[in-house]
Amino acid sequence: MKRLKLGMISFAHSHAFDYLDALLKMKDVEVAGIADEDPTRTRELAESHSVVYYGDYRELLATNIDAIVICSENARHAEITVASAKAGKHVLCEKPLGLSAEEMEGMIAACREAGVQLMTAFPCRFLTPVIRAKEALERGEIGDIIAFKGTNRGSFPDPAWFSDPALAGGGAVLDHTVHVMDLMNWFSGSKVSEVYAYAETLFDPEGTRTIDDAGMVHVTFQNGIFGVLDPSWSRNPSFPTWGDVTLDVIGTKGVISIDAFNQKNSVYARGAGKGSWSFWGDDMNVLMIRAFVNALLEGREVPITGEDGMKSALVALEAYRSAEEGKPVRVFV
Amino acid sequence: MKVAVIGCGGMGTIHADRYASMPGITLTGVCDIDVQAAEKLAEKTGATHFSSMEDLIREARPDVVSIAVPTYMHVPLIKQAAEEKVHIICEKPIALSPAEAAEAIDFCESRGVRLFVGQVVRFFPQYQQLAEQIQHAGSSSAGIYHASRAGSHPGLVRDWYHDRQKSGGVIVDLMIHDIDYVLGAFGEIEEVFAFHRVQGGIDYASATFRCTNGTIAQLEGFWGYPGPFTTTFEFAGKDGIIRYDSNDAQSVRVRRTADLEQDGGFVETPQSELVHDPYYRELFHFLECIRSGMEPAVTAADALNALKWACAAEESAQSGLPVRLEKEAAKS
Ligand SMILES: NC(=O)c1ccc[n+]([C@@H]2O[C@H](COP(=O)([O-])OP(=O)(O)OC[C@H]3O[C@@H](n4cnc5c(N)ncnc54)[C@H](O)[C@@H]3O)[C@@H](O)[C@H]2O)c1
Repeated sequence: MKRLKLGMISFAHSHAFDYLDALLKMKDVEVAGIADEDPTRTRELAESHSVVYYGDYRELLATNIDAIVICSENARHAEITVASAKAGKHVLCEKPLGLSAEEMEGMIAACREAGVQLMTAFPCRFLTPVIRAKEALERGEIGDIIAFKGTNRGSFPDPAWFSDPALAGGGAVLDHTVHVMDLMNWFSGSKVSEVYAYAETLFDPEGTRTIDDAGMVHVTFQNGIFGVLDPSWSRNPSFPTWGDVTLDVIGTKGVISIDAFNQKNSVYARGAGKGSWSFWGDDMNVLMIRAFVNALLEGREVPITGEDGMKSALVALEAYRSAEEGKPVRVFV
Repeated sequence: MKVAVIGCGGMGTIHADRYASMPGITLTGVCDIDVQAAEKLAEKTGATHFSSMEDLIREARPDVVSIAVPTYMHVPLIKQAAEEKVHIICEKPIALSPAEAAEAIDFCESRGVRLFVGQVVRFFPQYQQLAEQIQHAGSSSAGIYHASRAGSHPGLVRDWYHDRQKSGGVIVDLMIHDIDYVLGAFGEIEEVFAFHRVQGGIDYASATFRCTNGTIAQLEGFWGYPGPFTTTFEFAGKDGIIRYDSNDAQSVRVRRTADLEQDGGFVETPQSELVHDPYYRELFHFLECIRSGMEPAVTAADALNALKWACAAEESAQSGLPVRLEKEAAKS
């Protein structure tokens, strides 16, 4: 059996833990190394799985691994991706892909020149309800798309770097626009031409936040479709779950409503002090990692490219420009 | 108090039915230019029927009339009733343009009659409760509000709804409920950015309102929605989240194996399992205001303000640009 030798760089983003879990269960994958500048969060974990730990990612890149999964702070995606590409490694990079058009173009170009593949980590594309919706659209069940209304509401992230503009590049509007934006891009088959957005800090009871946690992003596509998306970190600890991914697709002949994490049991545990929702649907992270691994093993193109990642990250970045200027801004001109 | 109903369609039927069951209120007459419709409602309520408002006012001598005719005829009938010194409860939207609405308000004032507009969402307990909770949060109540209102196209049963010159379309007719609610719950609006598309059997609008208190209110209005009549809201603020979905909040469900009887060809209205439904509460409150002289929970000026923002949303949808209204313009 062909096996993929894979390394992981940085566990700054906690998705790395989920991805590692998924990778460790795959028989055709060998997790050969974990590089993380913070040993307290990964050294023991690596050793417990007999994975080599590196304090410096360049040492990991010098080994004979095939591919790298990057879960660093957003501001370091570009540097690590370019270094990985130069070392001849395929890359799966956490979203948002980068913090500027130049950065992301550089990442895409470096991978192209090195002949390696670049995939953006958009697990929502692998949500089974999302795939069913896409199939229904393709069968023409709701006619042509008129508009989207989406939400990717969440909770304020724990790691401190999410609040640091220099490391995160933006708050909720960056972090939570990109997933559903990618779905809108995928469903519409078009490109965003204009963005009008608000970015605010509204969910901060202590008044100490240094980054936006609320927003509303409006997009108009080249083919006339309108979309609006709430990316706010508006869930508080008493909400029954971390957040949501919803998308209503309004068509000329019907409506598709996705509530991706609604496959749940309602749980009322005496000890918990609140009710909670326990999800039982398919694991999108496993499905995404599987798709990345399969594409590399079978020599096919990865299902979500660097260009896809850039397309939706740019909308989020332009959303900030629009919010600042107080008017719609043109994208992709 | 003697009350009469002008227009015996969907809303007129609701008004007449609620008045007929109200203690201390006499439903003296119902009127419709469609004689059959008037006869049918008269039979149902025990009121006398007329074929013109003029005859009705002259013969039945009501203290108050409910105007429930198609929207484009609201203002002429308001003026006619005001001229006869009869108080008026008019269905929403008050008019199709702010100028016309302001004229109607001034006219009623000059004739010394009271004018109320049926912005009924203010009387729905789920919305009232939310408004109280927002008010309770006080100045810290900025947040993100989502609301949607979706149902079949009313033009399927009442053709005039298809004509934007007559009904105003989905923003002015339907979304105005939620616009008025936002104004009531969050205070002044500063800006709107909107999308509106009429295509085939669908009239869909999505509009985001920016309130002075910082709240971002994202509203959807949808005629041609293939599901059941649905209203939803979610308010998220820093101190909490409050959500409602009409499909989750049903306490009685009747499922029929076959369509036994059609609903009389009227436009869909929300059903409420309450001793007094929101329409009753609204009409009762307005009559109380007439009796006591007190200010209503929602004034005609509020209805005008909601209409201004509905028209601003329409303008934004046309231009693709956010629309801001001068404070003065929005208030006057
Ligand atoms: N508050 C709500 O929830 C709600 C719901 C639906 C409609 N509405 C509003 O109520 C109003 C009426 O809507 P509807 O759906 O009941 O319409 P409808 O078409 O069912 O009824 C209107 C009736 O008015 C009659 N009419 C027309 N001109 C008249 C005249 N000059 N004198 C007497 N009768 C006349 C028509 O023959 C018709 O029977 C509209 O403004 C609408 O926007 C409000």
